[in-house]
Amino acid sequence: MCEQADTPASRPALERVRVLGNERIAPGVGILTLHAPRCASEVRPGQFVHLRVAEGRDFILRRPFSVHRAQDGALEILYQVLGSGTRAISLLEREQVLDLVGPLGRGWSAPAGLAHALIVTGGLGAAPLGMLAEELAAAGVAVTVAMGAPTQERLVARGLYEAVARRVVLATDDGSAGERGFVTAPVQRLLAEGSFDQMYVCGPEVMQRLVAGMAKEASVPCQVSLERLMACGIGACLSCVVSTRDGLKRACVEGPVFNAEDVLWDSSEVPPKH
Amino acid sequence: MNLDMSVRFGSLELKNPVVTASGTFASGREFADFVDLQRLGAIVTKGVSLEPWAGNASPRIAETASGMLNSIGLQNPGVEAFIAKDLAWLSEHAPRLPVIVNVSGHSANEYASVIERLERESSVAAYEVNISCPNVDAGGMVFGTSCLGAAEVTAACRKLTTRPLIVKLTPNVTDIVEIARSVEAAGADGVSLINTLLGMSIDAATRRPRLARVVGGLSGPAIKPVALRMVWQVSSALEIPVLGMGGIMTGEDAVEFLLAGATAVAVGTASFVDPTATMRVIDGIAEYCHANNIERVSDLSGALIES
Ligand SMILES: Cc1cc2nc3c(=O)[nH]c(=O)nc-3n(C[C@H](O)[C@H](O)[C@H](O)COP(=O)(O)OP(=O)(O)OC[C@H]3O[C@@H](n4cnc5c(N)ncnc54)[C@H](O)[C@@H]3O)c2cc1C
Ligand SMILES: Cc1cc2nc3c(=O)[nH]c(=O)nc-3n(C[C@H](O)[C@H](O)[C@H](O)COP(=O)(O)O)c2cc1C
Ligand code: FES
Repeated sequence: MCEQADTPASRPALERVRVLGNERIAPGVGILTLHAPRCASEVRPGQFVHLRVAEGRDFILRRPFSVHRAQDGALEILYQVLGSGTRAISLLEREQVLDLVGPLGRGWSAPAGLAHALIVTGGLGAAPLGMLAEELAAAGVAVTVAMGAPTQERLVARGLYEAVARRVVLATDDGSAGERGFVTAPVQRLLAEGSFDQMYVCGPEVMQRLVAGMAKEASVPCQVSLERLMACGIGACLSCVVSTRDGLKRACVEGPVFNAEDVLWDSSEVPPKH
Repeated sequence: MNLDMSVRFGSLELKNPVVTASGTFASGREFADFVDLQRLGAIVTKGVSLEPWAGNASPRIAETASGMLNSIGLQNPGVEAFIAKDLAWLSEHAPRLPVIVNVSGHSANEYASVIERLERESSVAAYEVNISCPNVDAGGMVFGTSCLGAAEVTAACRKLTTRPLIVKLTPNVTDIVEIARSVEAAGADGVSLINTLLGMSIDAATRRPRLARVVGGLSGPAIKPVALRMVWQVSSALEIPVLGMGGIMTGEDAVEFLLAGATAVAVGTASFVDPTATMRVIDGIAEYCHANNIERVSDLSGALIES
């Protein structure tokens, strides 16, 4: 089962990894599979890896990605093409070798006696929750999932969630799957109906903040996964700080998963592209 | 052939010329999973101030061509917490690693107070006084951009310690040699350069600056030519040793700084890209020496062929 927050996390390492597959699964979205035996055996749900995409010097920083699934020495990463780094990822071919630092950060944790979890995803926020959903289901926890995305084809990892969850509720901006609108509406209804003892949320930060507010209202403990710009990914540079009730915390070490009630929602999130 | 990697930086004996650049290596703990800290020539810690500093608003970094901008703003928990947590950790986990503490302040008095407090700690090998950070409104670069200010801070710190005192210079000046001369005259045992170059990045799509603070410090390979030029100019003009840095990613980059006149070098942004970068640089310098029949690394310093 998932580790409690106080158990020591697995130690990160620099690992040479090989591309096993790279497939487009939706417009601008791909799934990258890497042979990364060390990381795959150590990674916990909600942790991330820091990928070095290009060896050249035109852009130098690594790119952080959540681990979607880990199995038999392979890591799956769901990525959305946004800029230079993710474009380079979309061009990776089988057998190409790159390196990663990982596993990094503090992932999701499950309270003792967890019986029914509500997972809320928005867009690519479905990525870091995949492994968690699988582990929870395998441990006999009932899992309900609310997924939101702009369109039906952007409901990435829907198959995984439908396979393990007791119930999956969908919302799309254009109504092409599930109800039309944001995922927050079905979440509000689920909270009114159900008796959840833990919520897990990942997606655009505005959505996470709104859902965290609903969780608080319903007195359900809630964990969120926050994105920040990251240079080092290992806690040294202080570029990724999140304001919390206990002061500034590093998203790469003390996060990316935080208890929602600790987060002071300010404007330190990654600026949207447009 | 036996290669002697050691260098003397003033009165500091370093087993090799490679140290960490302040603010890019925290206080070592975060890198302990990746490198053998005791293989470093020395560790230069993140900037430490008298009281805790909260740093700047986010976003604090922006990637640029061959480099990055940062406006972290010297976020640090203050000297007491630094001693209790970072120095204590280093003494326990890397007892043979020389520790050079990077010092920041808003006034000459604040710099001096940090040093006064650290004088009571036996595990400090030297100080690097940062008069050059572009990311704080008061102090920092204000001292580094005038000869008078630079000399004032240097003299205030000099009075309080017999430990090696290295002063870190900003490249954001018209004549860095002039500033370097004034800190040498005020009693510095060495200078380190360069700190980051003041820069800016704009997102045309949103018409906004990429950094919350609008401007920030440029580091990484993009600044190496500027850094090499300044190290060459300053080391030609001064008697005291130069700690060179700015965009060092490989052993060969480091050798270039030594040839330009540096006695030792610091690896900064490279440690973000590759957490083992410091070790690769040490190994790369050794390889260069073997390939070029050099027996003592110290022979490389200033060995640039200029004609
Ligand atoms: C902990 C964590 C987990 C993540 N998991 C995933 C995931 O599973 N799938 C996915 O598609 N994306 C994920 N992201 C976002 C992903 O890191 C960015 O989309 C990616 O770095 C963009 O790189 P680029 O070169 O294409 O974009 P550019 O805009 O060209 O990148 C420029 C710089 O900004 C940074 N940057 C840009 N957008 C983001 C962002 N949203 N978050 C962090 N840094 C950003 C880049 O790393 C780079 O340093 C995650 C981010 C974090 C912090
Ligand atoms: C994120 C970051 C934080 C830094 N913090 C400090 C600092 O606290 N004190 C200081 O003297 N220099 C600081 N620097 C400057 C570096 O020590 C170094 O002078 C500069 O980055 C150039 O070297 P590089 O190109 O190898 O990184 C910082 C640089 C970066 C990138
Ligand atoms: S990314 Fe460097 S401290 Fe988090």
